[in-house]
Order: sequence, then C-alpha cells, then structure tokens
Amino acid sequence: MQRQTPPLFRRGPPAEVRLVVLIVLALTLMLVDARMRVLEPVRRVVAIALYPFQRVVLAPRDLVEQIDEWVNAANLIRQENEALQRQRIELAQVSTHAQQVATENAQLRRLLGITEHTSEPTVVVEVLYEPPDGGGQQRLVFNKGSKAGLAPGMPVIDEGGVVGQLVRVTPMTSEAALLTDDRVSIPVQVLRNGLRLIAFGTNTPGEIEVRYLSANADVRAGDVLITSGVGGFFPAGLQVARITSIDRNSASGFAQALGEPLSHPERYRHFLVLQVDVGQATKIQEEEDDDN
Amino acid sequence: MTTNPSSQEQRDASGRLAGLVGNAHSDRLTRPARGVFVWATLIVVWLASMLPWRLWPAAPDMMALVLAYWSAHESRRVGLVTAFVFGILLDVHDTALLGGHALTYVLVVYGALLLNRRLQRFDLLSQAVHMLPIFLLAPLGTHLVVAWLAGHWPGWWWVVGSLITAALWPIVGWVLQLPQRRLDDVESSAA
Repeated sequence: MQRQTPPLFRRGPPAEVRLVVLIVLALTLMLVDARMRVLEPVRRVVAIALYPFQRVVLAPRDLVEQIDEWVNAANLIRQENEALQRQRIELAQVSTHAQQVATENAQLRRLLGITEHTSEPTVVVEVLYEPPDGGGQQRLVFNKGSKAGLAPGMPVIDEGGVVGQLVRVTPMTSEAALLTDDRVSIPVQVLRNGLRLIAFGTNTPGEIEVRYLSANADVRAGDVLITSGVGGFFPAGLQVARITSIDRNSASGFAQALGEPLSHPERYRHFLVLQVDVGQATKIQEEEDDDN
Repeated sequence: MTTNPSSQEQRDASGRLAGLVGNAHSDRLTRPARGVFVWATLIVVWLASMLPWRLWPAAPDMMALVLAYWSAHESRRVGLVTAFVFGILLDVHDTALLGGHALTYVLVVYGALLLNRRLQRFDLLSQAVHMLPIFLLAPLGTHLVVAWLAGHWPGWWWVVGSLITAALWPIVGWVLQLPQRRLDDVESSAA
C-alpha cells in the first residue's frame, strides 16, 4: 500500500475558520429552534431519513420482546383475564348507572339547548422509543404519524387519563410531550368543586404544578383534576392528576399546588391519541392570543 | 531507485527516534486506517447510539469518543463537518434542540485535532488523560447554552458520563487499531 504524502498546504479553509463557522451555525440552530418553529420542516426531513435506520436498529429489541411475550403468553393471558373479569363486574354496575345518567344528561342538555358532546375518533399508538433526557424534557416517540391521521396538538391518553400532547408529527412517527414536560399546559378543573385552573409540567418525572392559585383557593391535597375543555385541545372530563401538596405563600398572595399525574406513561407501551379538531382548537387559541 | 532504501532507513530511524522520545511504538501506529473501516465504525456507533442504553443519565458518549479518535488519528478523513452532521442526526433522534450534539461534537473534534500531533507520541492510557478535559469541556459548553435557552440545568450526571467516555478511550482505541495491527503482523510474517 502506497502511503500518500501529506499535502504541504491544506486544501479548503483552515480548521479554525471551519470551527468558528460550525459553532456559529450550531448556536444559531439552537437559538432559532428554541425560540421559533421555522426549523420544523428541516427536522421533519431528517427524521424521515432517520426512520428506516431507527426501525432496523430497534428490530432486535422488538424481536426479543415478541419472543418474551410469546413465551409468557399463557401466563399473561391468565393475568389479563383475571383483571378483565374483575373489571367487568365493577364496570357492569357503573355502566347501568352511566346509561341512566347519560340519558338524563342528554335530556337536560336538550332542555338547556347545549350542543351535544361528541366523542372523538381515536388511534392506538405504540411507543417506538424514549428519547434520552436532553435538557430535562419529558418526551415519547410513537410509531404512527400523519399517515395515520395524527397532527400536532392532539391529546394522548391511557386508562388513567391524559398522558400528554403530540408536539411534532412526521409521516411515520410522532413525538409527544408528556404532562410533566414544561412545554405542556392543560386547562383543568377540580373535580370536587369545578374550580378552573391550569396545570403545567415541571420537567420532573411524576410531578405537575398548578400555578397562579389565589391564596384562598379551595384546593386540597387529594383533589382530582380533570380537563375542563377550555382551549379546545383537550376534551372535557379526562382525568389529569391528583393534588399531593399545596404551598400557600402568604407573602406573594398566591398559592402553588403540586400533583402527580394519574396516567402512567412509564408502565405501558400502547396509548390512545384522540383525533380532536386541531384546526378549530388552534383558531380558538389564536383568537385568545389576539385578545390578550 | 537508489534513494528509496535510504529514505526507508531514514524513516525507520526517525520512527525509532520518535519511539525513544515518546513512550509508544509510533512506527507501528502510523499506518493509515482504511476509509471503509473508519466510516463503518462511525456508522455502527451512530446506529448503536439510537438504542435505549443512552437513557442512563451517565451514559458515555460513544459517538464523541469514536469521532475524537478518528479525528486524532485520521484527520484527513474525519473532521469538523463530519462531527457536525452526526451531531444533527443525533439531535433529531433525541428530539432535542437542533445543534446541541452538533456543538459538542464539533468542540470535541477540534480538541482532538489540536492534540493530534501530541497524541501520536503517547500510549493509549496517556492519550485518555489528554482527552479527559476535552470530554468535560465540550459538553459543558453545550449544557450552558441549553441551560440558558431552556432555563433548566440538567444536573451533574453528564460529568460521570464524560469520565466514563475518557476511561473507555484506551479500550476503543485498541479495538480501532486492531485491523491496522493485523496488517502489520501479516506483512512481518511474510517478510
């Protein structure tokens, strides 16, 4: 093998120039990505290119999981069956009661002239992977995207209630910010007394925060928060969190409550995405922003 | 034709001299790696970086490690632009701020390029000690920018990650030198 003689003069700009250019480029990208949404198309293109590689890399893991599932199938089915039996008995009572209440509610709504509550179509999604925690974000990447009818803004739920909200969508994948991500804020209501509040993520797993409570607000530890339906993204009545502690700061005149989400994104692989009318919700939000 | 053997001798002599000055067999390590091997290792490490082991907060940054190793030993093939591109790919995979990994990797590779000549004269363990400050300072820069933009400090686990990254340098370096070694052995047994 002939050894190439090292060039006397480097071709191209010297390393320092390239370093400065690339650092400035990286910093600009970070700044623009943090403050504006103009880089989303770039990110989508790279994400589409990455998708086949991600699937190939994750294929062995999926295979191991499938084999594991297959080996434990009998056991799993027995456990699941028991749980379902128990649930069925519990739900039987609830459902008869719910039917009565629903008819009654429909009558009352008709009497009051309120538009009927429609239930949204849903899409089942599976976790493709959990991105590493860079900068404290709480995210999940799902295996379905805009091809399955998903769009940014749609809520993600599990049996416990709201899990989070889709923030980015590519044709094949979608990225959800969990309740606990600080980019998510959800209009909520205290189930006990109907008090309307806003819940924010704290970037700490298993913790959400209710800010801007007046110091005498009627919120107690143990209260369940449900979505209020204000804003349009989250349909009303989904469970969100249970209040764990309240900090009443008499100096500032405001109180702050911490809660734990009732959904468990860390336990499950499958979730439901509610296909709400995101366009309508965005319009409502924009109008609200204009008003402010 | 007659000049060839003498230049060969000269090179051998300088190799021996370098070996005396430093504490490594520099004449054994000067053989350039094959381009295919360099790119294959980079791509394998990049693919491996998409697996869930990086969820561990103190996970070592293998991508930075291999990029740094190749830019220190094969600076003609792997440089700042390569580091930047792999950084962007990982940023998109991690759904992180675009440019975060890119910034870290560009800084790491620049550090490795700066130490390029110096590293050639040391064995892998001493090289790891030389690289440790780079593996600590480059992510520090990125974390400071992210903390400023996101208003959130990620804690100190990444320092442990950087220490592990530097500690893995000798192992990864040994593995990445294997093909060149084997060529050496084949040639010396043939001679």
